[in-house]
Amino acid sequence: MSVAARPAAVPVPRETAIAPDRGRRARARRKTLGRALLYATAALLALFVLAPIYLITVTAFTPRDAVYDYPKRLIPESFSIETMRFFVTSTGVLGSLWNSVVVALISLVLSTLIGTPAGYALARYVFRGRDAFRLTILSTRAFPIVILSIPLAVSFIDWGIYDTVWSVALMHTALALPFTVLITGSIFVGVPRDLEEAAQTLGCSPAQAFVRVVLPLALPGLAAASIFTFVLSWNEVFAATILTLRERTLPALVLSSLAASPAPFRFAAAWFMLVPSLIIIFVIRRYLLGMWGRVSR
Amino acid sequence: MSTPFDTDGTRRERRWTRRDVVRTGAGLAGAAALAGRLPAAGRAQGDVTFLSTQFSPVEEAEAMRSILEGAPSPVEFITSEDGPFSDRVVAEAQAGQGTIGLLGALHGGFATFVEQGLLTDLSDLLPQLQGRAFVEQYLELGRFGGQQLSYVPWAQATYIMAARREALEFLPEGVDENALQTTLTYDQLAQWVKAVNEEAGPKFGLPAGAKGLLPRFLQGYAYPSFTGGLNTTFRSPEAVTMWQWLKDAWSAGNPQATTYDNMDEPLRSGEVWIAWDHTARIGGALRDLPEEMVAFPAPRGPRGLGFLPVIAGLAIPKNAPDPEASRAVIEYLTRPEVQTTTLREVAWFPAIEAELPADLEPGVQLGANAVQATTAAEGALPSLLPVGLGAQGDAYSKVFRDAFQQIVLDGDDIQGVLDTQAVNLQTVLDTAQASCWAPDPAGEGVCRVG
Repeated sequence: MSVAARPAAVPVPRETAIAPDRGRRARARRKTLGRALLYATAALLALFVLAPIYLITVTAFTPRDAVYDYPKRLIPESFSIETMRFFVTSTGVLGSLWNSVVVALISLVLSTLIGTPAGYALARYVFRGRDAFRLTILSTRAFPIVILSIPLAVSFIDWGIYDTVWSVALMHTALALPFTVLITGSIFVGVPRDLEEAAQTLGCSPAQAFVRVVLPLALPGLAAASIFTFVLSWNEVFAATILTLRERTLPALVLSSLAASPAPFRFAAAWFMLVPSLIIIFVIRRYLLGMWGRVSR
Repeated sequence: MSTPFDTDGTRRERRWTRRDVVRTGAGLAGAAALAGRLPAAGRAQGDVTFLSTQFSPVEEAEAMRSILEGAPSPVEFITSEDGPFSDRVVAEAQAGQGTIGLLGALHGGFATFVEQGLLTDLSDLLPQLQGRAFVEQYLELGRFGGQQLSYVPWAQATYIMAARREALEFLPEGVDENALQTTLTYDQLAQWVKAVNEEAGPKFGLPAGAKGLLPRFLQGYAYPSFTGGLNTTFRSPEAVTMWQWLKDAWSAGNPQATTYDNMDEPLRSGEVWIAWDHTARIGGALRDLPEEMVAFPAPRGPRGLGFLPVIAGLAIPKNAPDPEASRAVIEYLTRPEVQTTTLREVAWFPAIEAELPADLEPGVQLGANAVQATTAAEGALPSLLPVGLGAQGDAYSKVFRDAFQQIVLDGDDIQGVLDTQAVNLQTVLDTAQASCWAPDPAGEGVCRVG
């Protein structure tokens, strides 16, 4: 109140306030700096992935002559769906896109159905030859599929499923299984056995305990494994080329024609191959993140 | 603390319940099974499945499909790379059950099938193909040195040069646009390339990329033109002169050329002004920019104008589902009018002696003129693509690539490199038991590297 009291009163809180304030500021500054660094790294990583996607997208939708401009432009000046339309309507593209989706889904379902029990067994039971079994699973991937190509085709012709989505899906399932088994195996190891036993003491049968307790906990892992299978199948070229003739998957169709095609088509095809897998990953990602969060809490 | 089973009351996120899992799984399985069962649309009895290693680029394949719409029976045209192409044919033969009715490939692509006896003899088809003047030399190739006609010539191509008009002002003295068509020599080409380099930068290119056809330039153009031979003159003094020339011209060329698989795109973008390549790999630039381009034959050397005709053929595998329908498609594709349509659409030239139509697209016309100027050139020296190498084809080309790498890119001593590579070349020829082919004089036994 008094004029004299003020100067006395003011420095005191100032003195005491300044020190922690400085500390806080420094901390805040450090925090901001750390955060900036984090964001910069994130931006850099994102750029690393997004830049090619951006370039592919832009080029896929520029008129053909502009694709050959030299030096290339970063920002498109004109827009055209001409190349894209030609590519999409050219023979077999839509059919093979459908085949690709079907093959990927069949592989996903089959490899999950077969791989999950195997992974569970590896995680829960100790049996003779368990390690050998693990190794054997992996070693199937060490086998170069190229030398198998003719025998595979011959067998599939004999069984009458050559040139169908099933032959490719079976092949992709076989290719994906080792990973599915190993991934799900490590996921099941992470689910505490106590929970399963607790469920059983409360009246669940082993099967019920698995379905009601273990499976929900393992879902994120299963989702990850299935994304993996999907992407593997989506990108796989060799088996698809050998095992199909008319019923080609998109990569098989595109591979045979793109190597020698002019650049605009390559961009159009690249974009066309990219987008469905991006969509799938975006869709599955929601569940994946949600579930990871729940389990790790 | 909360257990994994807690429902988080504050956030009502969608939970993935057991029921969802089961439902989704069942749905996916159902959808997949359903889709797997769906019969493919448009599959009819009597369709001919036509598997080809040629015309695989999207646009060419579409053009070929539209040509095949006129065929007597519906044809499904499917393209394939070389490896899967031969795997598939062999697999169908081993399974004794064929789905492929017709095969289209280059001469070399049929060689392994001929060795294994997988192709039908088409000799009896020839009398039915009256009025088609096949080039006798090409039919002879299709017989692979035996009696059986394993394939019928389908289309031919060759290699030409193309330049952007900007480059013409740098032509050396005594060479004008007309002389390009008739008398350009390798030395003049080198002068030209250097003149362009001095003013406008390195604008000369050869397809020296991993899938580029540079070995063909050496085998069918440079070697025959400079030495009059190939295997028999591999390390001759004339060969040394040729490599010296190439080293010289290359030094004024675009160093990016080691990444070029075809010259089409560098020509279009202007990275390169003067280029040599297969007609199909240079034709796009000619077709899209006919006003800005000139096309002309490869240059000539001391021994003439060496060039390489490329022949694609049609063959029928032994276990084709409907051989008669396949034969009808061959009959259709070799009709003179269909052959000229093929030229118009995909810029491959007739395998029969046919009049070229007058109303060709300007770019195709450019290419056609250059091809005709090549075959009609004085001192034209046609070579064959390597004959009888079978599985050694890649190894053979590798010798030339390696020599190029060592001499031109690494700058090693020419004679030394040729002496070492000559040994490798002989090994390849010995392994394949290949006799000499044109332009080397045909002889008995395995071809000897000279």
